[in-house]
Amino acid sequence: MKRIFLLTALLVAASASYVCAETARDIVDKADEAFKINRVYSISSLTVYKSGKAQPAQVIEGYTMERNGKSYSLTIYKAPRRMKGTAMLMIDNDLWVRFASTGRVRKLSSSAKKNSAGGSDFSYADMGENGQGLAEKYTPSLRGEEKIDGVSCFKVELTAVSPGAPYEKLMVFVSKDDYRYIRIDYYENNATIKTMKLSDYRVKDGINYPFKVVMESHVKDSRTVILTKQFERNSSKIKDRYFTTGYLQSIR
Amino acid sequence: MEKQNLRIRLLTSWGRWSIVHWKEALLIVLGITLIMIYGASRVQSQMTYYSILPSKEKNVQDLKEIIKNFPMASGIIAVIDGRKIKNPAEAEKQVKATIDALERELNKASYKKYIIRTSGKTDISLFKEHGLMLTKSEDIKRFAEMFKSLNFSALLHNINNDFEKEYSGNEEKLSLDENFAVSQFKGLDNLVHLMEKAASGKKVSNAEVNKVLGGYLYGDSYLLSNDNRMGLLIIEPNFTIDTIGKMTKGVSFIEKGVKSVAAAHGLKAGLTGLTVVGRDEMETSQQGLAVSSTIALLLILALMIFAFRMFSAPLISGTPLVVGIIWTIGLTGFTIQRLNIVTAMYMVALLGLGIDYAIHLLTAFVQERDGGVPFKDAVLNSLGKSGNGIIIGALTTAAAFFMLSFSKTEMISELGIVAGLGIISELVVMIMMIPPLLSWRNSRVERKGKGEHKLFARININSHAASGLGNMLVKKPYAVMLVMILVITGFSFFAGKISIEQNIMNMEKKGLESIKLQDEMVKEFGMAPDVMSIISSNLDEIKSLSTKLKKLSSVKRVESIVPYVTIGDEVKVRTPEIKEFKMNIENTRSENSGIDNRKLLYELNRLEDNFLELSDLAYLGNMDKIAGILSHATGRNSDGVKVGTTAFDSLGGMLEKGPVDERNLEHLQNMVRDNLAAKLTEMTSLQPVTLDMVPAVMRDSFVSSDGSKFLLNIVPTKNPWKGDFRKIYESQIKSVTDKATGMVLAGDVLTIMAREDGVRSSLGAVLVIFIIILIDFRNVKLAFLTMIPLAASFLVLFGIMGIFNIKFDFVNIIAVPLLIGIGIDDAVHINHRYLLEGKGSMARVIGKTGTALLLTSLTTIIGFASFIPSPMRAMKSTGIVLSLAMAIAFINSVLLHPAVLIVAAEKLKLNINPWRKGDKKHV
Repeated sequence: MKRIFLLTALLVAASASYVCAETARDIVDKADEAFKINRVYSISSLTVYKSGKAQPAQVIEGYTMERNGKSYSLTIYKAPRRMKGTAMLMIDNDLWVRFASTGRVRKLSSSAKKNSAGGSDFSYADMGENGQGLAEKYTPSLRGEEKIDGVSCFKVELTAVSPGAPYEKLMVFVSKDDYRYIRIDYYENNATIKTMKLSDYRVKDGINYPFKVVMESHVKDSRTVILTKQFERNSSKIKDRYFTTGYLQSIR
Repeated sequence: MEKQNLRIRLLTSWGRWSIVHWKEALLIVLGITLIMIYGASRVQSQMTYYSILPSKEKNVQDLKEIIKNFPMASGIIAVIDGRKIKNPAEAEKQVKATIDALERELNKASYKKYIIRTSGKTDISLFKEHGLMLTKSEDIKRFAEMFKSLNFSALLHNINNDFEKEYSGNEEKLSLDENFAVSQFKGLDNLVHLMEKAASGKKVSNAEVNKVLGGYLYGDSYLLSNDNRMGLLIIEPNFTIDTIGKMTKGVSFIEKGVKSVAAAHGLKAGLTGLTVVGRDEMETSQQGLAVSSTIALLLILALMIFAFRMFSAPLISGTPLVVGIIWTIGLTGFTIQRLNIVTAMYMVALLGLGIDYAIHLLTAFVQERDGGVPFKDAVLNSLGKSGNGIIIGALTTAAAFFMLSFSKTEMISELGIVAGLGIISELVVMIMMIPPLLSWRNSRVERKGKGEHKLFARININSHAASGLGNMLVKKPYAVMLVMILVITGFSFFAGKISIEQNIMNMEKKGLESIKLQDEMVKEFGMAPDVMSIISSNLDEIKSLSTKLKKLSSVKRVESIVPYVTIGDEVKVRTPEIKEFKMNIENTRSENSGIDNRKLLYELNRLEDNFLELSDLAYLGNMDKIAGILSHATGRNSDGVKVGTTAFDSLGGMLEKGPVDERNLEHLQNMVRDNLAAKLTEMTSLQPVTLDMVPAVMRDSFVSSDGSKFLLNIVPTKNPWKGDFRKIYESQIKSVTDKATGMVLAGDVLTIMAREDGVRSSLGAVLVIFIIILIDFRNVKLAFLTMIPLAASFLVLFGIMGIFNIKFDFVNIIAVPLLIGIGIDDAVHINHRYLLEGKGSMARVIGKTGTALLLTSLTTIIGFASFIPSPMRAMKSTGIVLSLAMAIAFINSVLLHPAVLIVAAEKLKLNINPWRKGDKKHV
């Protein structure tokens, strides 16, 4: 009798964890919908706050697309004056920079993807997540519910499974009513090293997209605010030829 | 019953004898006091936070070992500030001149008693000779590639290749190598300037070449801020934070010298570092104690004159009060032999606590005299009537304090011992001194022919307000109880909001220069004032930990002896590479000395492009020092717009269009080649680098005095005292090793232990108090009822702290045991009187005891509140929390407790009588 009870208990526990895992995956998959988008054109402003002091705002024109399992991203600086015309091209793990001051194109090593992008609190990898979604390289587990900035959220832990995952763990908070990422905590060596807050969600071209993203570093006295000014999904502005070093070289 | 009789018999016997033989009685006290003065001479004053760290904890032990065995852990940092000079070049020049002058000043004989050595510049002697043997294999290969030809165009070609490989497009890498990069850029810009000078036909001296190439290879030896307008001088003292007397004098002596030299150069300078903060803690706590003890003593004595309308009251109560403090310090000298910041504060608080016994005795004495009782009987009656209450009160308080002595945290256990001894000393001294002092006063009054009742005729210690309060309590006990319960419940909702102060720096005096300079160092030098450290006797372990720790995002860099010595197979691996490097350098001497203007122009343009790209990256990455140097070198303003002509322009123009003094330029090329080849060859020593070859400052920083242990410093990216960063920093380091320690971690351990240990010991104290009350009143119900106002006081205190965001810290946490020990007293006194006066007597009880309770509570509050004007924020906060606690305890004791007693004993008819008939009346 005792044995039957034990087996039943184990079975219930196992199915419960299965249900939880499914639920967690469902949650992040739904939240990822907003980021699994193709041929996106955007104009954003990026302001880095160092010790609370705003640095000159960077205005960035972004082009992204997915093709044959590869992700492509081209970022062109429109401001400040010093950086105008400087551009970055990312094709999967490869990264090139074209400097406006010299007109030269430089290739960066693949490890540079983890580095800070443009002195901001985003890494090149954070900037290039569009198209794949956040949770792709992680195993999700539901860790309960929590209210973030007044919004009831699912708390889902994403543990890295793929060696390509840039962080060992993410803790994501997804709104319960409409499956939006509200906050993401990034972990490295058992500690939260930065936190991203996504807000000002607006439905544009059929998707609910965050027009304001704030990344706050917990290891540097720094915070970066990205405000999206223009956003087009399946944009006609995206041309395949933009994602080549030849085009990068020609940018003025 | 027998015990009580014995207690009263002893008291009255002493009273009877000491009234008659007052001189002998006072002589006995004097004799004991002299012994205590000897004891007091053994006491060491250690009022630093460092001195109260829990020494049984492993990381505190490691920290103490670091302080003891690594001389530079006590290093003093002199910060020279030239920011008020507008011109950056002039500021840099003046800062460097001040550093040089300071080195000369501090190396004078008069400073030898405090200083071992100073270091205003990086000692590059080791690098000059063994630079390559201390360089990683991949970098030796890199350098070999860079310097395989020393002709201008080939050299610049290889340097450009190296830049493009290492830095371009990677501001993270640029940031890691910031200082090295800065010296390289400056050196290369200076070299271009020399080339331009030579090309235009001007003479370039060997000294100029030597200076430029030295700067390029070895960097700037001064320790300068990011904008070069501030500088550092490291002073190695021959004292530590543990040798407090020498530290206090030494730091002040050095500070005076540093400030006067800086002022003579028109600059500001200040000191920081662990020892300087320790000195500041000593000074500010001593200032705080001096201020608070003066305020407390004056206010208490003024209150005594006002309350007893007797000008001799300060003498009769103040003398035993001060003697009681001397006894306490003396007993401390015979036991734990030191006063820490908390026990020293308690000495001041003891003024407010000790006077209570005088108040109770004098109140009873005056009441007797008011009733027309003759002097001798009045003294004996006062001892008999109030002696019992004050002895029980003192015993409960002392027992509660002594319970703390079982605490694992020295700070709390020492407080327990000193506080317990203090209460007992004050009680004994008051009982021993007040009767003979009253007798002495009486004999003087009689000698002057004043009537015995003259002074007391108009005195009525019964207060109308107290009687009024008593009447109200009797009439409306339920209403008073209800209002009190509502208020207490209201406050208790906010008790959960209470928080703990995590930052020791927030407990120091506001605006302290040593603390401000720590922030300046983070901002201007990118150096954190407090680091975590690891000690190990194994260099390989230090090397392996360095590699792992460097990768953590909360770690800016790691510092150890590893880069300065050769370890393991490094010599074997590097030797063939260095030999090859040396051979290459030898070959450059036979290079063709001709200059190809076209190639040189191409490489110059390439170098300028690299500078521009690096400047853009530095701008994006907010690396102002690099961005500034590169913008200047390329003639760009902060918007990247070309605003000036540079050496690149003029040299480029000459190479492109002419004329070029080719002979002169070739001559410079020869000088550069010879000088660079000589410098590089000098760096190719194949000798293994051992500890004894390392410059003394480095050795004293990272190798223990006996050479057996090594120190690894983990420098954080942010000030670890600010915000929650410390948790990230500690947690990431813990993911690599659990061997790290530091003031940051030790401070946390102290906070955690003080909180946990304090709560544990306090619970013990509550239990002991309950047992004593139970034994005294011999009634479980009454014992429980007596504890109610204490519990209520905690709820209200925590609620008020929660509402006003008053944080608990490891100093003001002593409010918890002190409130337990002292807060119960008033309720105990009311119980005694209520049992004596009987049922329905609460109005009389409050009328008779209310004023004394108010007076004793006021003196206690004065004792604690005297810390509020203290410059040290920990003392100020302790003063606020403790005076609040005592005020709340008083209100609960005189309002809630009597109402509860009336309801329990008179309305609900609970039996609160002793279970065995004693000398107390039954209620």
